[in-house]
Amino acid sequence: MKSVQDIVKEKPWVGWLLFMVTVIVVFLLGLLASSIIERRAEAVFAYSPKITFSDFEPRDAKWGEIFPREYSSYLKTSETNFKSKHGGSAMMDVLEVSPELVVLWAGYSFSRDYNQGRGHYYAIEDIWKTIRTGAPSEQVPSPQPNTCWTCKSPDVPRLMNEIGVAEFYRGTWDTKGSEIINPVGCADCHDSRTMNLRISRPALLEAFESMGKDITKASHQEMRSLVCAQCHVEYYFNGNKVEGVQYLTLPWSEGTTLEEMEKYYDNIEFADWIHGLSRAPMLKAQHPDYEVYLTGVHASRGVSCADCHMSFISEGGQKFTSHHIQSPLNNIANSCQVCHREETARLLEDVYMRQDKILENRAILEELLVRCHVEAKTAWERGATETEMQPVLNDIRRAQWRWDFTAAGHGNSFHSPVETGRIITSGITLAQEARIKLSRILVSSGYQGEVPYPDISTKEKAQEYIGLDMESLRKAKNNFLEEVLPEWIEAGKQRERSYDLTE
Amino acid sequence: MGFIRKLLPPEKWTFPVIITVAAFTGLASYSFYISNAPSYLGDKPETCVNCHIMAPQYATWSHSSHRETTNCNDCHVPQNNVFSKYYFKAKDGLRHATVFTLRREPQVIFIREDGKEVVHRNCIRCHENLLTDSRLMLYSDKIVMDRKDRKCWECHRETPHGRVNSLSSVPYARVPLPESPVPEWLKKTREK
Repeated sequence: MKSVQDIVKEKPWVGWLLFMVTVIVVFLLGLLASSIIERRAEAVFAYSPKITFSDFEPRDAKWGEIFPREYSSYLKTSETNFKSKHGGSAMMDVLEVSPELVVLWAGYSFSRDYNQGRGHYYAIEDIWKTIRTGAPSEQVPSPQPNTCWTCKSPDVPRLMNEIGVAEFYRGTWDTKGSEIINPVGCADCHDSRTMNLRISRPALLEAFESMGKDITKASHQEMRSLVCAQCHVEYYFNGNKVEGVQYLTLPWSEGTTLEEMEKYYDNIEFADWIHGLSRAPMLKAQHPDYEVYLTGVHASRGVSCADCHMSFISEGGQKFTSHHIQSPLNNIANSCQVCHREETARLLEDVYMRQDKILENRAILEELLVRCHVEAKTAWERGATETEMQPVLNDIRRAQWRWDFTAAGHGNSFHSPVETGRIITSGITLAQEARIKLSRILVSSGYQGEVPYPDISTKEKAQEYIGLDMESLRKAKNNFLEEVLPEWIEAGKQRERSYDLTE
Repeated sequence: MGFIRKLLPPEKWTFPVIITVAAFTGLASYSFYISNAPSYLGDKPETCVNCHIMAPQYATWSHSSHRETTNCNDCHVPQNNVFSKYYFKAKDGLRHATVFTLRREPQVIFIREDGKEVVHRNCIRCHENLLTDSRLMLYSDKIVMDRKDRKCWECHRETPHGRVNSLSSVPYARVPLPESPVPEWLKKTREK
């Protein structure tokens, strides 16, 4: 056999053939490479929308122009017609349902007004209307700091970006009334460039840092819960971080269980308020939904908040995540039944069974706590000393923290029935401990018999019992809603009109 | 050996030949790299969305209960032995790559006959106890019929991808599409 060189020498066309074939192969290989690149590049924009608004656009309607399905499903959070056995999408006056709560929160603004909230659509409207935020006017400031706005609106990340986090928290609630007018929406959870989920609230980022965890390492599935955990968590206002600022802080540096957060609060000797009757240094649990969910079986199986509360739905041949964030009980087919192939009625029964059993013991704890506060009040009246009362007050603080922890998150008894049941049980024990100590104190002061249980059969009677003048509070609030609020809204709208001009 | 020696270029050509062959190899490895080729040997679902037209399949799977226990390969390639697994994977994969490269993908992708058989067998592989009754130890016509004369999804039509799977059925679904192939250090130098 001859070498290639010899062949080419004899027949030059073979050389040309080899040359052409090589050119063609390299050319095709190049085409293949550029085709791969092109199709990869396609992926970048095939699933990325063309955005026409700024990074911190707070108006959902702007986003809705590009994401009509997500937006129109979000608008359904305005519906208030769903009612389950213990909850639903309508506003519910919790103090009316359980007047005991008025006594438990005596001396704290929650005793004035506490409702089960409505959908995200009403986040702003409901915080305007609640008596807890007071009736600010030019002469009187709100009793609450601006920190209270933090979870209510996509105007929050916008404003934090403009003036800084601590400056955002600074001042009373009324001073930023015209800045925050859009309810919880798109920019709270989404990066406007990529539409990926993002954490927009510094408190959660700081909490992860305090636990030595890196939130940027969270998977997409974890983010589908973490965006909710920006708000649906236990928090407190830290007055020692920045001078003159109520800094929103999650008490997670020891961990996220009830006991670990309690340890955190005890270590810094924190109290939300001093109880009006018992004078105990109380903790107010906010809504530790995420923390309790973490202890449940759904969390340990990798189910995220969005899996049940924002189900994947199909509409006209399009599949997308429903942004109608709501109770899964209003859409069992797309939430529970994705995994649990049982009849709807059976699944409902399973949920209600857990809730009923937990509520049964929670009601007992509620009554015990009322007795604790009333008996402690009697003990003070009969001359009990600080030293005598100190261990009692500590028990009351811990018992009510346990009760509130389970009651404040409306989904707890389903999210984690075992943990919730455990917490209530330990709360009952602590409340009874307090009462045993109290009865010793009362007996040694010469008190005979049972301290009478007050008549708190209705919200009004309970509020009267703890000495609230609801009439004037309500009148002032109505005045605020009629006189001051329209100015806030007008100023906010005016500010937003200027956005359109600059775009 | 003699044959190989014949192909070798004469001494004075060594340099240009080395350069030419290296250019070839370089171009080939570049294609290999940007197409994420090594990922095709593994089982990660992210691999399947290397081609973005698989996004509807990925998104529907990741919202189904099957996401907790299966990846794409568990159902879509044979799992009876390693040879048939990789043979099928190579066969299907090369067809998919060809169709995708030539832009011949249809608007609605349907599974082919041999793919159906594989999926059906894989349903049975995990859900066998739903089809047999070990207490009876007897041959039942119904069991055989249910397994052989129809496919599982003729009844379980929504499992797990749902019924509608056109290329445009999941607008803006968040799926792990391949990121830019430009390495971080290079991007950084560009930013400066």
